[in-house]
Amino acid sequence: MPSADVVVVGAGLSGLTAALAVAETGARVQVVAKGHAGTHWGSGGLDVAGLPGTATPREGLASLAALPGHPYAHLAGDVAPALEWLRALLAAQGLAYQGDLDTPLQLVPTSIGGTRLAAILPAAQAPAARPWAAGERLVVCGIAGFKDFWPDAIAASLSRPRVWAETSGPERVDAVSVELPGLAARHNLSALELARRLDDPSWRAAAIDRIVSALEANAAKPGGARPGSGRLALPAILGLNDHAAAFDEFRRCLPMEPFEMPLVQPSVPGIRLYNALRAALIGAGGRVLIGEPVAQVDRTGDRVIAVAMEAAVRTATFRTGALILATGGIAGGGIVADNDGHLEEMVLGMPVEAPEFADWLAPDAFDPSGHPLEAAGIRTDADLRPVDRSGKPIFENVRVVGTMLAGQRYLRERCRDGVSIASGWRAAKTLTAVAVPLPVAAAASGSVRP
Amino acid sequence: MVESSRMTESHAFDVLVVGGGATGAGVLRDLARRGLRSLLVERGDFGTGTTGRYHGLLHSGGRYAVKDSQAARECIDENRVLRRIAPASVEDTGGYFVATPDDPDDYLDVFPAACEKAGIECDEIPVAQALRREPALNPKIRRVFRLPDGSIEPWNLIDANVADARAHGSDAWSYHRVVGFEREGERIVAATVRDERSGTTTKVSTRFVVSAAGAWAGQIAAMAGVELTMRPGKGVMLIYNQRMTDTVVNRCHKAGDGDIMVPVHTVAILGTTDVKVPDPDVYEITRGEVAELIAEGEKLFPDLGRMRLMRAYAGVRPLYQPPADTQASDNRAVSRAHTVIDHANRDGVDNFVSIVGGKLTTFRLMAQDTVDVVAAKLGVTEPCTTADTVLPNQEPGKTYWLGHRLAEHEAEGGGDAALLCECEFVTRPMLNAFLDTHSACSIDDIRRGTRLGMGPCQGGFCTFRAAGLVAERAAGSAGAGGPAGAGGADATLADDADQAIVGYLRERFKGTRPIAAGRQLQELWMVMGMYVGALGIESLVDREPAEPAREVVDAQR
Repeated sequence: MPSADVVVVGAGLSGLTAALAVAETGARVQVVAKGHAGTHWGSGGLDVAGLPGTATPREGLASLAALPGHPYAHLAGDVAPALEWLRALLAAQGLAYQGDLDTPLQLVPTSIGGTRLAAILPAAQAPAARPWAAGERLVVCGIAGFKDFWPDAIAASLSRPRVWAETSGPERVDAVSVELPGLAARHNLSALELARRLDDPSWRAAAIDRIVSALEANAAKPGGARPGSGRLALPAILGLNDHAAAFDEFRRCLPMEPFEMPLVQPSVPGIRLYNALRAALIGAGGRVLIGEPVAQVDRTGDRVIAVAMEAAVRTATFRTGALILATGGIAGGGIVADNDGHLEEMVLGMPVEAPEFADWLAPDAFDPSGHPLEAAGIRTDADLRPVDRSGKPIFENVRVVGTMLAGQRYLRERCRDGVSIASGWRAAKTLTAVAVPLPVAAAASGSVRP
Repeated sequence: MVESSRMTESHAFDVLVVGGGATGAGVLRDLARRGLRSLLVERGDFGTGTTGRYHGLLHSGGRYAVKDSQAARECIDENRVLRRIAPASVEDTGGYFVATPDDPDDYLDVFPAACEKAGIECDEIPVAQALRREPALNPKIRRVFRLPDGSIEPWNLIDANVADARAHGSDAWSYHRVVGFEREGERIVAATVRDERSGTTTKVSTRFVVSAAGAWAGQIAAMAGVELTMRPGKGVMLIYNQRMTDTVVNRCHKAGDGDIMVPVHTVAILGTTDVKVPDPDVYEITRGEVAELIAEGEKLFPDLGRMRLMRAYAGVRPLYQPPADTQASDNRAVSRAHTVIDHANRDGVDNFVSIVGGKLTTFRLMAQDTVDVVAAKLGVTEPCTTADTVLPNQEPGKTYWLGHRLAEHEAEGGGDAALLCECEFVTRPMLNAFLDTHSACSIDDIRRGTRLGMGPCQGGFCTFRAAGLVAERAAGSAGAGGPAGAGGADATLADDADQAIVGYLRERFKGTRPIAAGRQLQELWMVMGMYVGALGIESLVDREPAEPAREVVDAQR
């Protein structure tokens, strides 16, 4: 039976962060997950706290940490060191981020023609967060046949002062569209396919030529933005595995400053983040097994001792000293609701803290206070051990991280990545003391079958 | 959708029809074909009232056979007519009436004879045969009768009726609400209609008024100074993301809640409840109603509790209970039958009738009965031809089948279809064709015309693509020298494409909210995560409430 000091269930930002932090201590860590996670749906940015009315993530972090029951109440002090550590690891993998807790929150234009508050962004998105100088132009460049990025609609919407709230946006927003080499007959291009093609230097050079021509044609129109000034919004497809080089080439060769706009899933910036985390983890000696849900968890007393996965032709059981639960809450499938309002935690069957069934969802999809159900999750103590309703730890060697944690409204608070990074880091720190594999014989004591 | 042919200078018509559901469209067609130049006005898009919110069943009449033989006979007659004149709107699913262990034997004993009496083909088939065709059915069912039920798509049915009426010189205006009638003595001489988008009002002179406003008929009558009490009955329906049955399945018992499953296009719809509501515009779908429907539905399909619910919606039946003291012509005292109310005899308004009650399957007959009254009063002797003439854009005998969009794409050479809505196979050329011929005011209008956004993601991916295409078309036609700000027919929508995204996702959320659980809740969370987290949709949300309470509680299909 393979064994690990720590098994992490879930391969999103919180799970991989936790696994990396464990692996760095020299402990053996095994990540198991049924599939890819929120990274593939996200923007690729690192949202720590993006509350309207706050100037920086640090300010928002402080106000969220003051909310009773918010994960930041336990984690506020971990955010800065965890973020700094993770950014260095990502940079070493060639994925640079800009901004920190003291970077002013800015409205960044999005690919549906809206704006969102952001401060810590991948280098390829960061130019969007610089305030707009008087008279500065934006050109939105789309790709013919690509159905997840519509430059005319984006430009029309971003031309309205309303989306920029109190701040000033670009003076004028133009839309251009280019046909990329060899794709004329293609109607269902995906962001991933385009990103992979842009990894190829010769195809990339040809694509850049087409974009330059389109910008020149636009400049020739009455009032069109002149090359040499302003910024250029492109869909977030500028390379997948060779992104740093691709982005660098776009910057050097285009007459306007390019930046990427994240799209609907599959999110290329999110996949780059996932790939960098995974590569760093494997480099640090960690292991990753993706493809099946957890089939069984063995326990003795208040300790988890083994985690079993359905593998291709037999059950793969990992004996473990500890378990980190990073299964992503409702969006990740770690918590599942039935028609009667019961919420089930799928791996260990732990109690889920949640609002009354009748109050789960606000009548308006976009209620400014969000939906009460967003706060559903597992309640923990300060060491991230799950606790029962009386506050007593349920498992001594289990830690709960990321969006599984109760008490956050991560959509409205824009705190998901900060909570994930800080809780993953914190879980690893608090576990080093308890993560001691038990002898095989103890495995007979009991099991939980999700 | 607003049709662009609204260019009648005089605004004078023989007949004004109020209400753009199937009944109103059927009345308009019948009037037009008898040479009466008529106008239909509808306060929203066509088919947004009860017609667009029913369960999709083309009745064989089996559900009424035991209780009401006449209603059953009308159903089977019209069922045959609609298969003939509107084949593209009909899917020939066939229907099973099954006896579960809960259903009493005495009903089963009289059911086949009642069907025979009403003229409905009814064959008892072996249970094993039914289970082979529909393996998700409860294996404990005891008897199965096969009847000619089907499913029917309401929006293209209305579209075809309106198109035929236009071809015969009449017209129909969507997004036009009647706000008042002008009377001269015992006659209505004109109506004031308000364009709901611009707020401008128009006077329409007319010789006769037909109210086909269904559950809202009381409100229209009140404007004409007539008292008419409707009994709107709310019916809740649940949409599953799959066709667990290809056959309409009914419980063979006295009709009740949650006893019918109708496969409609890519989904299946479980119906229904019946609750009296005071206002046809204000009602809510509760978790309790959803749970009760599922519990009843499990008697037909035992695994229903584990299947993925996609959406709940509700419609209001236009029920009318004639008071005991009304004239004979008003007196079909059967609640689900239809009644043509001649307000001359009853209320002293000479040129006003209301058509109330009824059901979608018999909409054409309802129209015929109504227009017979109108024609007689206007001295028109042309006979009704609506039952014998195939509607426009239909291939006789070619009923709908699920694979038609893919098949048509393959027939045109196949390959890489420009899919904008993957769930419902809506391609870019299909959307372009729709936008070329209709002026959509919202993405919801596009949905009714194309089924965009009706699949499992509930608009999560196709919504902004539709808005993007509309903006691209507008920019293209403006660039081609069109008038500034008017990018062709869909300019209204293009001007506010970002709001259209917000509006449509809000609308779809309303139907998800009462059923959010399991995979559909997970999907909602992922979609919200994308739109709020990565795409900043809240920056597009207009905090001013767009419409009154209706917006809050009411979910469309």
